[in-house]
Amino acid sequence: MRQLPQIAHVDVNCFYASAERAFNPALEGRPVIVLSNNDGCAVTRSPEAKALGIAMGEPWFKLAPRAKEWGLVALSSNYELYGDISARVMELLGRYSAWLEVYSIDEAFLGVKGTPDELLALGRTMKTAVRRNVGVPVCVGIGPTKTISKLANKWAKNNSAFSGVCHWDSVPAAEREGLMRRLSVIEVWGVATRLTKRLNALGIHSVLDLSRADPVMIRDRFSVVMMRTVLELQGTPCIPMEEERIGRDQLIFSRSFATPITTADGIRQVMSVYGQQASARLARHGLQAKVLTAFAGTSYFNPKDTSYPSVSVTLPMPTADPVILTKAAYALLPRIVEGIRYARAGIMVTDLRLSGNQAPLALFENPHEERHLGSLLEDVIRRYGRGFIGLGHAGIRSGPEWTMKRDMLSPRYTTHWDELPLVKAA
Amino acid sequence: MGVLVGPRVIDAGASLLSVLISPVAVAAGYPSPAQDYFDGRIDLNEHLIKDVTSTYVVRVSGDSMTGAGISDGDELIVNRALEPVDGSVVVAVLDGELTIKRLRITGTGVVLQAENPAYPDIRVPSLSDLVVWGVVTRCLHHL
Repeated sequence: MRQLPQIAHVDVNCFYASAERAFNPALEGRPVIVLSNNDGCAVTRSPEAKALGIAMGEPWFKLAPRAKEWGLVALSSNYELYGDISARVMELLGRYSAWLEVYSIDEAFLGVKGTPDELLALGRTMKTAVRRNVGVPVCVGIGPTKTISKLANKWAKNNSAFSGVCHWDSVPAAEREGLMRRLSVIEVWGVATRLTKRLNALGIHSVLDLSRADPVMIRDRFSVVMMRTVLELQGTPCIPMEEERIGRDQLIFSRSFATPITTADGIRQVMSVYGQQASARLARHGLQAKVLTAFAGTSYFNPKDTSYPSVSVTLPMPTADPVILTKAAYALLPRIVEGIRYARAGIMVTDLRLSGNQAPLALFENPHEERHLGSLLEDVIRRYGRGFIGLGHAGIRSGPEWTMKRDMLSPRYTTHWDELPLVKAA
Repeated sequence: MGVLVGPRVIDAGASLLSVLISPVAVAAGYPSPAQDYFDGRIDLNEHLIKDVTSTYVVRVSGDSMTGAGISDGDELIVNRALEPVDGSVVVAVLDGELTIKRLRITGTGVVLQAENPAYPDIRVPSLSDLVVWGVVTRCLHHL
């Protein structure tokens, strides 16, 4: 029996629409779209909405006149709800593996082990648990590499015979080949649109073609990144799991950006937001940090212009003060190369200790802490909502975001006491 | 204790941690005789929420469950992970709405029972025809 480590890729189907449906069953079976910031355009479409021919990114003003006739439900992005549902899904998935990488708000990779039967059973268990406990549907792909597990998940989603769970190695080889022959290379994780043409020129059209390409030739003609993709398709793991963990000794705030950030000023804004979040989180836990690490990085799939700046700052004294933490995070800015496309950034606070354990020496007393700025900010945010107030770039955001329009916002069912789901007793 | 990550850090353990900090200030004078006895305040999350991933709070609208001690405007703690059994108070999906009823599984079929004579029972052909959204574990009744 094979017991090689495998990777499971789990993602929520139509995440935003599914999160809305979990609390509003009337949306089940109806075409639903969720709109981007400012109710601009469709960013999530339920299968019913796709069936109407609504394209990703289609502007709402074009759809609105026909919404009634279609029975189309449009909703503003309810980030509070999606964030909470995502956290629940990730926590639940974390119970099935000690090795979890949260890849985005709605997808995660997990390191898993077992016989093919055990892996299939595990996939089904996770799928059932997320649907039942949290209330949203997921699909699961399991394979020897990240790239294959993503592919397996795609297959699980689009082929009802799998019932939402596909273990690559359990599928007969002939069937796998058939799938890989039918899928275009663009469906492979990390193959950008602009590379597709160049691959096609070499006679590489399908996923199968790419998996059979010579890795060395691919490296020479493209990049080491594309070679890794080929090796991954052949079953050799090349894209490591990013292990992020929170103990009581560290907190990490990090994420991938929807669109890359290319300026130090953009990163400054991210650092402001994280500095403030870290401060709030530390305060809530009654903790202070002595060391702050700020980092940024380009995409795995961007072979040119890679850049992974990071900086660690030892703070003058343990603190949870938002001003000090944010300022410390700014130490990263001189290392940001303007023009490079940063795909993620974050901060990590370490060397944590309980606050109030020792009275600071007057010399090191911090004026911001004295004024309890952190707790004041949190109070204002709790009362008036996130984005109402903030430090520096975390506060007054540029025009559109500041006056974010969310006319069709559903209740923030799980994060706001005044907006709880109503259950009918009638 | 939540051990994750990513875009958001899960702080399932936040409430647990917060009670570890003694509220008793240590002054230079006579030490509080109580300080060694402080084990943390009662944390409702700890007692009312068995599993943070599957527990939701909902609010009641209507008076069909008054016989079960559930009134209009009360908040309910609902656990989605629990298996509904005969006698469970459940949130069920009826006509696209979340509805609260008592579940009755008898030899003759499945019934969603109101706990107020003014409201009729609803018969369900079988358990598999019923979508149970979650099982109610507590009622936070307003006095």
